[in-house]
Amino acid sequence: MSRSASIIISLRRLNRTTIAWLASWWRLAHFSILIFSLGLSPSSYNRKHRPVLAYRLVTNTAPNLVWFSVACALVSLVLIRIVVVSAQSYGLSRYALEMVVRVLVLELIPLTAALFVALRITLPDGIAFAQMRASGVLDTMQRQGKDLLRSEYFPRVMSGIFAVWMLAIVSCVTSLILAYLTIYGFTPWALQGYTRVVGQIFNPAVALILMLKVIFFSFAVALIPLASSYYQEDAQSRRSRMWAAHGLSEMLRLFTVILLIEVASLMGNYY
Amino acid sequence: MSQTPIPDQTDVTAPDTTLPAPPPVRHAELKAAILLVSMFVLIVGSVLYLMYARGAFEATQVLVLTTDDSDGVGVGADLTFSGFPIGRVQRIELSPDGKARVIIDVPRTDAHWLRTSSIFTLERGIVGGAKLRAYSGILTDPPLPDNATRDLLVGDMAAEIPRMLAAAKDLLNNLGTLTGADSPLDSTLRNVQAVTGKLSGPAGAMGLITGNDKQSQLLIDRANALLLTADQLARRTDGLVANADTRVFGDKGVMTDAQATIVQLNALLADTRNSLKKVDAVLVEAQAVGANAKAATADLGPLRADVESNLRKVEQLVNEINRKWPFKRNPEITLP
Repeated sequence: MSRSASIIISLRRLNRTTIAWLASWWRLAHFSILIFSLGLSPSSYNRKHRPVLAYRLVTNTAPNLVWFSVACALVSLVLIRIVVVSAQSYGLSRYALEMVVRVLVLELIPLTAALFVALRITLPDGIAFAQMRASGVLDTMQRQGKDLLRSEYFPRVMSGIFAVWMLAIVSCVTSLILAYLTIYGFTPWALQGYTRVVGQIFNPAVALILMLKVIFFSFAVALIPLASSYYQEDAQSRRSRMWAAHGLSEMLRLFTVILLIEVASLMGNYY
Repeated sequence: MSQTPIPDQTDVTAPDTTLPAPPPVRHAELKAAILLVSMFVLIVGSVLYLMYARGAFEATQVLVLTTDDSDGVGVGADLTFSGFPIGRVQRIELSPDGKARVIIDVPRTDAHWLRTSSIFTLERGIVGGAKLRAYSGILTDPPLPDNATRDLLVGDMAAEIPRMLAAAKDLLNNLGTLTGADSPLDSTLRNVQAVTGKLSGPAGAMGLITGNDKQSQLLIDRANALLLTADQLARRTDGLVANADTRVFGDKGVMTDAQATIVQLNALLADTRNSLKKVDAVLVEAQAVGANAKAATADLGPLRADVESNLRKVEQLVNEINRKWPFKRNPEITLP
C-alpha cells in the first residue's frame, strides 16, 4: 500500500510539475503575443509613451554599447591574431580571413551580445520584477489601475531587443574592420580581395540565418526573463519558490533557448 | 492570470507609482533617435556592402563550363586569371547528357581577359576547394562571347594519389622480386661470391679460368713444357747465330769477299775518273773549235760587203763603157 501511495504521490508531483512547466511556457507565449501586439500598434509609439521608450532605449543601450564594443574589439583582436598566426604557421593564411569571419561575426559575436544584454539588463530587470511581484508591489499597482504592460514591460522588452541588435551589428562591423586591419594592415589595396572573400562567406542563406539568429536571440533575451513576473502566481507556488530561484529558473530557460537557437543556426549553416 | 492593460494610466513618472523613479536622462528622445538612425545606417550599409561583395551591382556575362565531374566546385567559388578573381560561380547544374555545367558570372569589366582561345582548368588540391583557372595565351584573339560554352580541363591532384600509390606498389613488388631469395640478383651475387672464393683459393685466378684445380694443374704443366721447349729453341738459335757470325765475319766469310770487291770497285772508279778527265779535255778543244767557227762566221759579213761594193763598181764600169762605146744606142724616142 505504501508503495502504491508513493507512486501516486510521485505521479501527482510529476503531473503538477508538467502542468506548471506547460503553464510557464504558455505564459511566455501569451506575454510575447501581448508585447508584439503592442509593438505593432502605432499607439505604443505616440507622444505620450515615447519618453519612456526613449529613456529605456538610451539607458539600456548606450552605456553597454561602449563597454561591450571595447571589450569585444579587444577579444576579437586577440582571436584574430591567434587565428592568423596559427594559419600562417600551417601555411593556410589564405583561409585565415574566412575562418575569422565565420567564427567571430557569424557565431561568437551575436551569442556574446545576447548573453551580455541578458546578464546586464533583462535578467536583473526580471529578478527585480519578480521581487516586486513577490512583495505584492506589482499587484498593488495593478489594483490601482496601472497599465504595467505598456508602461513598464513593453519599454524594457523593446530596449532589450534593440540593445541586442545594436550591440551585435556594431561589434560585427568592428570585427570585420579589425580583421582587415590585422591581416592586411593600413592599406586600401587589399579591399577588393577582402570584399570578395566576405561576399563568398555571406551568401544569401548564411546572411539570412545570421539575421534570424540575432532576431531570435533578441526576442529570447528580452522576453523570457520578464514574462513570468508579469503574471500573478498562486500563494503555494509563491511560497515554494525563492526569489533567487526564480531568477535561476528564468536564466536556465533563457540559456536553453539561446542554445537551441545556436544549434539550429549551426545546423542551417553547416549542414 | 493575465492583466488587462489600461492605456490611459501609463506614466512611469507619475507621482503615485510605487516603482523607484529612474534617474533622468537629458535629451533622451534625441539620443534614442540617434541610436535608431545609427542602427538603421549600419544595417543598410552592411546590406549594401554585402550586395556589392556578392556582385549585385555589376553587369555580367555568362560563361558555361562543362566537365565530367564538378566535385569540389561550390557556388560562389572564384574563376581566376593570373591569380586574380575575374568571375564567380553562379550555379552548377546537370546537363541532359550527364555532364556538369558550371555557370559562371563574369563582370563585363573583366570579360576582356577571356578570349575565344582561352582554356579553363579545374584543379583540386589536397587542402581547400577546387580552383577554377582561365588561361588566355593569345590576347589578340576575339573576345569570348556571352553564353559561351567551353570544356573544363580537370587536373586532379587527389586523383593522382591512387595512381601514384599503384605505381609505388608495382615498384616495391619489382624490388621485392629483384631482391628475393631466388631472384637473378641473388644468383648473381652468389656467383660473385663463388668467384671471389676461388680467387682467394689455392688455384687463384688460374683455377677461376680453368674451372677446376685439375685442369689448372694440367695447364700449368703444359705451360712449363712449353717454357722448356722455348728454352731449347733459344739455345739452338744461339748456335745458329754463332755459325752465321763465322760465315759472315770469318776469314773466308762473306764480309772478306765483300771487302775485296769494294777495293776493286774503288780502282774501277779511279779509272773512270781519268777517262772523264780526258773527255773533259776533248770537250775543251771542241769548245775552241766552236769559237773559231764563230769568229769565221763573224768575218763573212765584211767580206760580203766588199764583194757587193766591188760588183757595184764593176757595174758602174760597164755602164761607163756602154756610154762611151760607139755602139751606143740612142736612148731618145722619136714620136711619129
